[in-house]
Amino acid sequence: MSWFSPRGSGPRKEQQGRGQALAEPDVHRSLALAALFDEIRGRKVQVLDLGPAVGSNVEFLSQFGCKLYIEDLYAALSSRTTSGEGDLAGPEFFTEFLAIPDETRFDVIFAWDLFNYLHRKELVHFAAQLRRHCDRGARLFALMSILKTMPAQPFRFKIQDEQHLIYERRTSTERPSPRYAPAEITDTFKGFRVDRSFLLRHGIQEFLLVKD
Amino acid sequence: MAWKRDDPPAHNPEPSPAPPPRSVAPAPAPAPPATPSSSHEPPRRTDRATIGPSIFIKGDLSGEEDLVIEGRVEGKVDLKQNNVTVGKNGKVKADVLGRVVTIEGEVTGNVFAREQAILRQAGAIFGNIQAPRVILEDGSRFKGSIDMEAPKETGAPNRDHRSEPSRAEPSRAETAGVKAGV
Repeated sequence: MSWFSPRGSGPRKEQQGRGQALAEPDVHRSLALAALFDEIRGRKVQVLDLGPAVGSNVEFLSQFGCKLYIEDLYAALSSRTTSGEGDLAGPEFFTEFLAIPDETRFDVIFAWDLFNYLHRKELVHFAAQLRRHCDRGARLFALMSILKTMPAQPFRFKIQDEQHLIYERRTSTERPSPRYAPAEITDTFKGFRVDRSFLLRHGIQEFLLVKD
Repeated sequence: MAWKRDDPPAHNPEPSPAPPPRSVAPAPAPAPPATPSSSHEPPRRTDRATIGPSIFIKGDLSGEEDLVIEGRVEGKVDLKQNNVTVGKNGKVKADVLGRVVTIEGEVTGNVFAREQAILRQAGAIFGNIQAPRVILEDGSRFKGSIDMEAPKETGAPNRDHRSEPSRAEPSRAETAGVKAGV
């Protein structure tokens, strides 16, 4: 069974949250997001959003005149048919998932909290795929959980403004968090280095990686 | 009946006489108003054609009136000067070009709007959007790219792997405003 188990049947058992009702969305300050927008201001950039299509994000990003690619990684992983125990998404999956012309290059990648939902081996494959579409200076925005548990499904993130993100829970169910260490991130994302990293009070570590 | 002509939108606040009985055949374009217009632009037609839910069209569509698609279309929908709506039951497998393009159903192909592209909550686009303004409602499904630069007048959005709409057999369906076929 895949590490990624949207229906909660994976090797890492999910834990029921305290309440069944979804909490109201939280708004958190994002230092890495602010740094990212400072970097891209005034440039026409190509952006890859690995989350679901969120109208307010599209509207917000439109002010930068960017070309935006939306490829919902979570939805793709959810619809993937697995064939048994230890069936992780391999390089073929990520190639098919990001089936864009070879010459396409991204300046910014919003990975949100999705890396928490990938096994380390899957991260390696995905990083290799992303590297192919990034030139030097490309930036990757990722949120890693440092808490013991995290929601069983990724948050839906909405950009409120250049410094704030709205976190919308999609499920009240919890599952253990992989708690990737910063060294694991840099080791996995070879070719990228950590440009900024911020540990936030609500148990999220923000990473802004930059392609060397 | 393949083509239904809807009542024109009630833009005119003045009371109007009761409409004549509706005809199966497409009605001629309404006569221009007798009062002089302050605008120098030719008056835009406000007619709206509808492709009903039971209709399946293979072939390109072009014309000069707004179009609502509730059926299935496999062929380019090219109404650059007019509004195109793919209704909740509508499915289009090809590029859609219009002034304001609203998707409530499903489009597998590129959407190219001169003014605005709107993807409603129940809608899905598997392809690219090119429009100066794009609205995606939460819950809608989208896979592709969004380019919010003003599109060129004549070209279609850049194609990539996502949509290779088939060049379908031309259809013979035709109305006064919207033509189907090549």
